[in-house]
Amino acid sequence: MHFGQSLIDALSLGALYALVALGIGLVFGVMRLANFAHGEIITGAAYALIFTWHLGPVVSVFVSLLVGVVLAILMELLVFRRLRTTTPATLLIASFGLSFLLQRVYEALFGTNVRTAPVASGLAGTVTVLGLRLQILSLVTIALTAVLLLAVHYFLTRTNLGLQVRAASTDFRTARLLGVRADRVIMLTFGISGGLAAVVAFVMTVQTGAVGPTFGVPLTVLALVGAVIGGIDRVIGSLVGGFLMGFASSFFSSWLPEGIVRFRDAFVFLLVILVLLVKPAGLLAGSGTVERT
Amino acid sequence: MSDLPGKVAATTPTQTPLLDVRDLEVRYSGVPAVKGVSFHVDRGETVGLIGPNGAGKSSTVLALAGAVRASSGSATLDGVELTGHSPEEVVRLGLSLVPEGRNMFDGLTVTENLRLGAVARRSEVPLTAAIAEVVELFPILGEFRDRPAGLLSGGQQQQLAIARTLLAAPRMLILDEPSLGLSPTAVDVVFDALGRIRDAGTSVLVVEQRAEFTIAFCDRTHVLHDGRLTLALTPGAAHDADLLTKAYFGS
Amino acid sequence: MSELKTPATGLTVGGRDLGRRRGRSGSSARLATMWTLIGPALLVYLGTVVASQIGGPVAVQGAYALVSLVAAVGLQIFTGTSGVLSFGHIAFTAVGAWAYGLLTIDPTLKKALLPDLFSFLADVHAPWPVALAVATTVGGFLAFAVAPFLMRLNGLQAGIATFGLLMVVGQVLTYWSSIGPRSGQAMVGVPADLPLERLVLVAIGVIIVSWVYQHARTARLLRATREDLTAAPGSGINVTIHRVIAFTISGAVCGLGGGLWAATNRVVQSSHFGVGMTFTIIAILVLGGTRSLWGAVLGTLVWSALDSLLVYLQGGVTLGDYVVSIPEGARPIILGATLIVALMVRPDGLTGGRELTWPVQRWRRRG
Repeated sequence: MHFGQSLIDALSLGALYALVALGIGLVFGVMRLANFAHGEIITGAAYALIFTWHLGPVVSVFVSLLVGVVLAILMELLVFRRLRTTTPATLLIASFGLSFLLQRVYEALFGTNVRTAPVASGLAGTVTVLGLRLQILSLVTIALTAVLLLAVHYFLTRTNLGLQVRAASTDFRTARLLGVRADRVIMLTFGISGGLAAVVAFVMTVQTGAVGPTFGVPLTVLALVGAVIGGIDRVIGSLVGGFLMGFASSFFSSWLPEGIVRFRDAFVFLLVILVLLVKPAGLLAGSGTVERT
Repeated sequence: MSDLPGKVAATTPTQTPLLDVRDLEVRYSGVPAVKGVSFHVDRGETVGLIGPNGAGKSSTVLALAGAVRASSGSATLDGVELTGHSPEEVVRLGLSLVPEGRNMFDGLTVTENLRLGAVARRSEVPLTAAIAEVVELFPILGEFRDRPAGLLSGGQQQQLAIARTLLAAPRMLILDEPSLGLSPTAVDVVFDALGRIRDAGTSVLVVEQRAEFTIAFCDRTHVLHDGRLTLALTPGAAHDADLLTKAYFGS
Repeated sequence: MSELKTPATGLTVGGRDLGRRRGRSGSSARLATMWTLIGPALLVYLGTVVASQIGGPVAVQGAYALVSLVAAVGLQIFTGTSGVLSFGHIAFTAVGAWAYGLLTIDPTLKKALLPDLFSFLADVHAPWPVALAVATTVGGFLAFAVAPFLMRLNGLQAGIATFGLLMVVGQVLTYWSSIGPRSGQAMVGVPADLPLERLVLVAIGVIIVSWVYQHARTARLLRATREDLTAAPGSGINVTIHRVIAFTISGAVCGLGGGLWAATNRVVQSSHFGVGMTFTIIAILVLGGTRSLWGAVLGTLVWSALDSLLVYLQGGVTLGDYVVSIPEGARPIILGATLIVALMVRPDGLTGGRELTWPVQRWRRRG
């Protein structure tokens, strides 16, 4: 395979993982929750695309976004809000349980087999740029990610609510003493993370055209791991970690020798454990993490 | 100083105190830290709260601010019950706490920290004017407006912590150990500013370890010992060593 | 909460009650301590007898419950003592099951089923006690080998790294056909050497091992670090060493659990040892209470009873004129919701993290 091609592929997969990790990292910032169940938001939004695609792309994408946002907010309202005062470990177990639970719900609703629809199949083609055959979807993914990162950056640095999210991520208690409304900020953050999950669902669904109950799991696991090795207590850490994870997976897939390539994830995880040993708090960890109360 | 909080309150005199704390109790997993404390702060008054480490000073003010739950007792601000409210609601009711240790958002700039202080702003005065006013009070903040708060010195951070809290336009301002870890000059700057905030009519409650200093600064100073109030001292008592010893170690 | 009513029982260390030990004569204190072993063991034994008497599907579910119990006790040895979360213990169960399967399946059948095996694995054959011992050793050895890497991490990082271990082991077992079936295939023909009466003895043996460990010095030191990691270095406790010990024993017990699982299920496939099984043993511990052996035992009992009840309801139950049944697929949903509700309502589990208390003394106290 041509190096330039695999570079674009790796960039695009890295971008996709970065979006997942960003959604996870934003929530972790305000909640100290590493949300395993983020994958089930992706799955839910992907099902929405599959089932509504016949209504036209605009409606379908809108419904999918709505499903992502609503699912994320429901998780906060029904489960995580009641666990806010517990430890990050308890939150992690709860999200692990919730992930399991939602997968079973999807199974019960939509069956264990995949559901299919030709979602934006036009994007699955290739174009030739400077002699490189590139997937349109890869380019779209990179562009989408760039736009969303700018949007999130603008929100966090330029708007009042974004400022509150950043403050709450640094030191929730002090933010509340200044009048930052905990419930509102956390719900908003879940909503944003749900929206990001829906975008990821779109890209993934275009790529595969098929959605099953565990659709979002592999992506989420790797992105979550990426966020942790990048330094989940800072948004930039999650982002970079997620990107590296996707980038590394894609590169391992392209360049590991035949016969070993199926152990790709094993290599990725070994790398992860090594990184955690050297930098337990993550590559780009902040100076200290203030527990929220 | 039109915007400095408290002025409005000071011009509407009533009989009841602004902050009225009665039999306040705080427990941490069953263990009492504050054992029935009662005191009040009148409009425009400056009250001190001193006592040894672990006497329950911080727990008292954290309970007033809604950051820890009071297990019993009441605290009213202008007749409105404070206990049972979350910290963000208490700020909106008009009581603001500058917690111990300054608690900067290190990555945010001075201006961003100030904007955060205005999240629960209770005043009609435009934010830009209000910021200009606190910058007049703490000129150093104007100079460093785009600097990350984490890069400020301890004294500058304390000034920023007070300034951003003022932007909520509180009627009742509480400071928990504002002099902690500051150099003598920085302490002077902070208390000089507190004096001007007081003169503008805001009610102030200062929690301190430095007894003499606090007693001299405040209209009235309570001594908290082992979760209970023991004495109330006026500025005249600042140099009465006997009284102080008694206050700290019980009679 | 009843413990709080009596001042003498206010202070507990690692689930053991200092006040009670000091306040009573030596023999009654010893009795109370022994009861924390005898009680759970007795319950497990009686539960098994009942399941075996009922027979049919209940006996089968009883066998799986005993296997879950061993894995849960294994995880409890580590997580309960150290306070560190692990999502990776099913990796040890997986290698234990692998070892047991490879040792007990008849070599002729094995060669036909698993053509890519290393030749020494294809030829080897061992009776069940040896196979169980090997499963235990393999689990313990894998835990010991990865422990120095994992044991320096805490909280979220530990959770993620152990989860990574589960993924790595899962992938290796899935794809490496020199040590097992080809991808997507299963090891079948594991002989049924472990009926209920043998299983229950092994389970009780594991409870004894766990109890002995909990009373050893190393476990007491590790428990002391559980609440306050920052204080540990000052007290001269080498947290890492004690964690490695706990992790190794715990991995060995989970490896043994894998052997039992292979013998009970008789079909072994890498997809069995994933997130689902991890979910089950974590849920059992959360339900019962992670911090005590009693929690692992009670958690298994309640969880298995609930699971059996749901299976039963799935089939439809006639109550008078009504047929009560739950739809297919509702069972795992209810089980998943149970974990989350348990975390909300009783984050310390049904036992509150305490060991079983000697009932006679309670009565005396009240009288």
